[in-house]
Amino acid sequence: MLDLLGLEHRFSGQSAGAQPALDIASLTITPGRLTVIRGPSGSGKTTLLYVLSGLIKPSAGQVRWSGLDIAALGETERDRWRRRNAGFVFQSFNLMEELNPLGNVTLAAYFSAWTDRTVRKRAIALLERFGIANEPRRVDTYSQGEQQRVALARALVFDPPILFADEPTASLDAGNSIQLCDDFKRLASEGRAIVAVSHDPLLIAAADSVVALDHGRIGDGKTLS
Amino acid sequence: MNPFPVVLSLLNRNRLTLAFFVMLITFAVGLGIAITTQERAVRQGSARAADKFDLVVGSPGSPFDLVLASVFARPAAMGLVDGDTLVRLMAEESVNFAAPIAFGDSANGFPIMGTTAQFVGHLSGELSEGRMFAAPAEAVLGANVPMRLGERLYAAHDGFDLAEMLHEDTVEVVGRMTRTHSAWDNVVVVPVEQVWINHGLPSGHAEGEDRIGPPFLAEALPGVPAVVVKPATVPAAYGLRNAYRTDRTQAIFPAEILVQLYALLGDARAIMSFLALATQILVVAAILSGVVIILQLYRSRFAILRALGATSGYIFLVAWSYVTLLILIGALLGLALGAGASWAVSGYLEAQSGIAIPVTIGWPEIQLILMLIGAGAILALLPAIAIYRQPMVDCLR
Repeated sequence: MLDLLGLEHRFSGQSAGAQPALDIASLTITPGRLTVIRGPSGSGKTTLLYVLSGLIKPSAGQVRWSGLDIAALGETERDRWRRRNAGFVFQSFNLMEELNPLGNVTLAAYFSAWTDRTVRKRAIALLERFGIANEPRRVDTYSQGEQQRVALARALVFDPPILFADEPTASLDAGNSIQLCDDFKRLASEGRAIVAVSHDPLLIAAADSVVALDHGRIGDGKTLS
Repeated sequence: MNPFPVVLSLLNRNRLTLAFFVMLITFAVGLGIAITTQERAVRQGSARAADKFDLVVGSPGSPFDLVLASVFARPAAMGLVDGDTLVRLMAEESVNFAAPIAFGDSANGFPIMGTTAQFVGHLSGELSEGRMFAAPAEAVLGANVPMRLGERLYAAHDGFDLAEMLHEDTVEVVGRMTRTHSAWDNVVVVPVEQVWINHGLPSGHAEGEDRIGPPFLAEALPGVPAVVVKPATVPAAYGLRNAYRTDRTQAIFPAEILVQLYALLGDARAIMSFLALATQILVVAAILSGVVIILQLYRSRFAILRALGATSGYIFLVAWSYVTLLILIGALLGLALGAGASWAVSGYLEAQSGIAIPVTIGWPEIQLILMLIGAGAILALLPAIAIYRQPMVDCLR
C-alpha cells in the first residue's frame, strides 16, 4: 500500500503565502489496481507522480510504502528504494535510441546489484511476453507501440511492485493504446500497483480508481472509483 | 556500478562531433610528443655520430665549423693545418692515429672527403662490399651513396656538377663502407692524395711516388682543413687538446662542442615544449566547453537513468568517465601520432644526412601524457559536477 498523508509541495522560489503545487490530505494507492491520476494541465499530476515515486522530495507530509516514509529518505536512499520498488513508463518512451530492445531493457542492470545474466534472462522473457522480437537493430527503428512495450519491459525488469506511468498512451494510436491498457490491467491483476497520469479516456475507462486533481488538490477531497 | 555501457552508448550517439574533439586532442598531443622525441633523437643521433671523432685539430676559427666539416661532412671555407703540424701529430707517441681530412669536391651531389684508409677502417670496420682504396684514383662509398662498384665518377667543385666544373680525371669505385649511422654514410671517400692532386697540389709524398697514406713528407704536404686524432688514452686526449690549442691550431672534442650546442638548443626546446603543453591545455579546455554543451543535451538521458534508480553518484561517474575517456583516447592516439610523425621525420633526416636519429618514447613523453590525462581527469570533474547538481525531473516527459 502506498499511502500519502498531509502532503504539501512548493516549488523552489514559491512564496510561503502562495498556493502550494500539491496540497493533499490523504491518498491511498492500492496494490492490484490500476489507478489513473487525471486533471487539467498544470493541475500537478506529474508532480504528484514524481512525489509518489520519490523523484521529488515533498515540502511536507509523508509518502509511506510498507511502513517506510519515502519522503523522509535522503536522495541516495530514495534512488535505491525506486530501483527496488518502482518501474517507470514515459509519454515519449525515453529509450536509448542507439541500443537495441534488449540493451534498453537490461540498462538498469549496470547500476543495480542484479547479475547481468539474471537481468538478461528476465529481459528476454519480458520482451517475449510483450511480443517484441529482439533483433540487433536500434530501438528507434521499431514502431511506436513496440517502443512503448520495450519501455514497459524495461520498467518491469526488476519485477517492481509499483509501476508509474506518465501519459503512457499519449504517443500511441488507438490500437496500441488499447493493448497498453490491457497490459496494465494484466500487470495490476498480478498484484502490482499501477499509477498512471493520463488524459486518455481509454485509460481512464480501464482504471480501477481515478484520482481527479485540480490545482494540486484532489477533486472534492475524494478518490473516485 | 559499471558506467561504461552507458558511456559507450552516449559516445556512440555523437560519433562525428566526438571524433573531431578526439582528433583535436590527438593533434595537440602529437605535436608535443613529436617535438620532445625529435629534439632528443637529434641530440642522441648527433652525439652518436661524433662518437668516433675523439679529437679534431684544425686551424684557428669557429669550432662549430670544424665539427660540421669533420663529423657531419658539411664542408665550409676554413683555414688549413700546415704539413709540419700534421706530421708532428702523426708522430706523437700518445696518438693511435691522426687522419687528415680534405674536402671541397662532390660527385653526383655527394660530398667527396679525402682521408686515409686507416680512418675509413676506424669508421666502418669491415667494408660491406669490395675492398679499400689502394690508389689515388679509387674511392670507397658511404652506405647510402647510390653508385655501384666499378662505376667511375668525376669529382666536381662542390655544388657544381656541370661539365665545365668537373675535374678531368675519373675515380673508380672499389668498395662500400658498412653503415656507420653517421653523415659519412652519404659521402664518397677517396685517398686524401686524390683531393690534393685534383686541385694541382703536391701529393704529400716525394715526387714520382705513387703510393697513398702515411707517412707523409712534411715539405710535400699542402695542408688540410681538419685532422681527426685518435688519442691512445683519455689523459692523452686532454694533453693533446692543450698542446694543440695554439695561435696556429685549435684542438676540440666534438662531443664538448655539441654539448655547448645542445645548451643553446635547450632553451628553444623548453620554449617549444611549453608552447606544446599550453596548446594541449587550451585544446582540452576548449573541448571541455563543447563537452559541457553535449552533456546538457544528454540531460534527459540522465534523468531517465535517475528514474530507473541510478544514483546521482552513478550519473556523476558516467559524466566524468565520458569526458575522461575522450581525453584518454585523444592522448593515447596523440602519443601514437607524435611517435609516428617523429619516426617519419627521423627517417627523412637520416636519408638526407645519413645520421641515425633514434626516436624513443621515454619518460618525458609518458610524463606529458600522464600530466594531460591527469589534468583532463581533474577538469572533467567540472562538467560531471554540473550534471550531478542539476535537477533532472524537468527533463522527464
